[in-house]
Amino acid sequence: MIKNEKLSFDVIVIGAGLSGSAAAAIAARSGLKVALIERGQTPGSKNYFGGTLYPHSLLEIYPDLWDRNPPLERPVTEAGFWFLSKDGLVRATVQGGKLNNKTIDAYVALRAKFDVWWAEQAQKEGALIIPKTVVVDFIRENGKIVGVLTDRPQGEVYAPVVIICEGVNNLLTQKLGLIKHDLRPASAALAVKQLIALPSITINTRFGLTDNDHGLAASVLGDVSMGLPGLGFIYTGVDCVSIGMGVTLDSLTKAHVKPYELLQRYLDHPQIAPLIAGGRLMEYGAHIIPEGGWKDMPQLYTDGALVVGDAASMVNALHWEGTNMAILAGKAAAETAIEAHKKGDFSSKSLSSYRTRLDERFIMGDLHQYRNLSFFLRTHPEFMDVYPAFINEALGMFFSGFGQPKKQLYKDIMRSLTYRRPLLKAMGDIVAFGRAIIGV
Amino acid sequence: MPETKTSPKYDLPEVYIDDILMSLKYFTDEHEAHIKIIDPQVCIRCIVKPCVEFCPVGAYRTQDGGSVQVAFQSCVECGTCRVMCSFSNVSWKLPRGGFGVSYKFG
Repeated sequence: MIKNEKLSFDVIVIGAGLSGSAAAAIAARSGLKVALIERGQTPGSKNYFGGTLYPHSLLEIYPDLWDRNPPLERPVTEAGFWFLSKDGLVRATVQGGKLNNKTIDAYVALRAKFDVWWAEQAQKEGALIIPKTVVVDFIRENGKIVGVLTDRPQGEVYAPVVIICEGVNNLLTQKLGLIKHDLRPASAALAVKQLIALPSITINTRFGLTDNDHGLAASVLGDVSMGLPGLGFIYTGVDCVSIGMGVTLDSLTKAHVKPYELLQRYLDHPQIAPLIAGGRLMEYGAHIIPEGGWKDMPQLYTDGALVVGDAASMVNALHWEGTNMAILAGKAAAETAIEAHKKGDFSSKSLSSYRTRLDERFIMGDLHQYRNLSFFLRTHPEFMDVYPAFINEALGMFFSGFGQPKKQLYKDIMRSLTYRRPLLKAMGDIVAFGRAIIGV
Repeated sequence: MPETKTSPKYDLPEVYIDDILMSLKYFTDEHEAHIKIIDPQVCIRCIVKPCVEFCPVGAYRTQDGGSVQVAFQSCVECGTCRVMCSFSNVSWKLPRGGFGVSYKFG
């Protein structure tokens, strides 16, 4: 290459995570010249999640997904909620039925392993991965974005359209003025997790899984967060267990607790500890989840740039969705970039079809529907302590009051609710929860 | 000197975070700290010092005299300190390309 020649591409993608590598693959497949810029040593090395991936989204990028041997852990054949009281546990999980292991809707995965492979697939489509490189700013000409400035010597990279997949710390999105504030402490959750190594046979026995082709994914509510607005989670890998929790930044700070001590308390819970006993800590990590969803979304496009994934707050905390929205939004952004190249128009108006594409999918609709949920959970901490404790106590009484008059049993059960929460308030909570979910 | 406040409400197990951080892999940038305290005096005057508690890797520690020191080497780049410092006294940017935490599993 001639020295001083501009490093030019048709599309620049910032961040080789789930959305970035999906966008890069779709754009490269259409014949565009794509640069996929990643700040880590390798794709995935900065990424940490629970968590599960959803084949419906992976298959949209690679219909021949299963021939490519994706590095996934166990399929999720059992999923649901665990309710923890101080020393008890009620499991409300589903298995079989719609979760039988012939039609798998979700897989447990480890991001550092998966994202490397995911980026390699984009590379096979023709995208150029530029690792160990941080995008620090945009290059503008006549007010329009024409490329990015990286932290490398002579680090200018040019392209008429930039797809921003920078993740939850969306400093570049903020720099473009697409959102006027940093993450909001009330809706961003700090998640901490331990990945614990255990022999797969031990995992199968302790979690009641038939074999390594069976896996569990559960949201854990109750004693896990000591009443703070937060959720625990537990996912089984092949020979590891992902176990962690997320708590909103403001409540964490107000409670003056150390997140790793809060996590340890959860791991020490009498119902949780035996599940991971004797396990070796493989990795600890922490990451913010943009749980605000709709209400924290930046403007999604501007002249020459599109925002995707966590950077655009595309998370539905209740349904564990985020990875799939990121991938599909990455695809939508790439299709928008392809269309813009055909038109030769990279203006905000031209790129607005990105929004239309997201509207046509479940993404914008779901995020809008759940727009009040994160606020609801913050103002209704009862769902984090009162109700999980009540469920434990009520079931405990029902299955232990043998030889006692049953009239008294039901009175006791009712009292175990009402001394925690007056009946009218409890009914109000249920209605409010319904409204937060339906989105009215 | 005001002590860092821990809520007596919760009985939490004591955790030696340094032992837990042994499980993490880092490429440490010897030439540049990506997070810095902007004005050390502000930390001395900050009574609550929430960073000492909310940082998930315990990178912020109180020193004698009430100042706060940040060990950027153990940072996992979560962003909490940037968002939650009451006085916006943290200069936060991403480590230079290739440096910082490098998750092996994720």
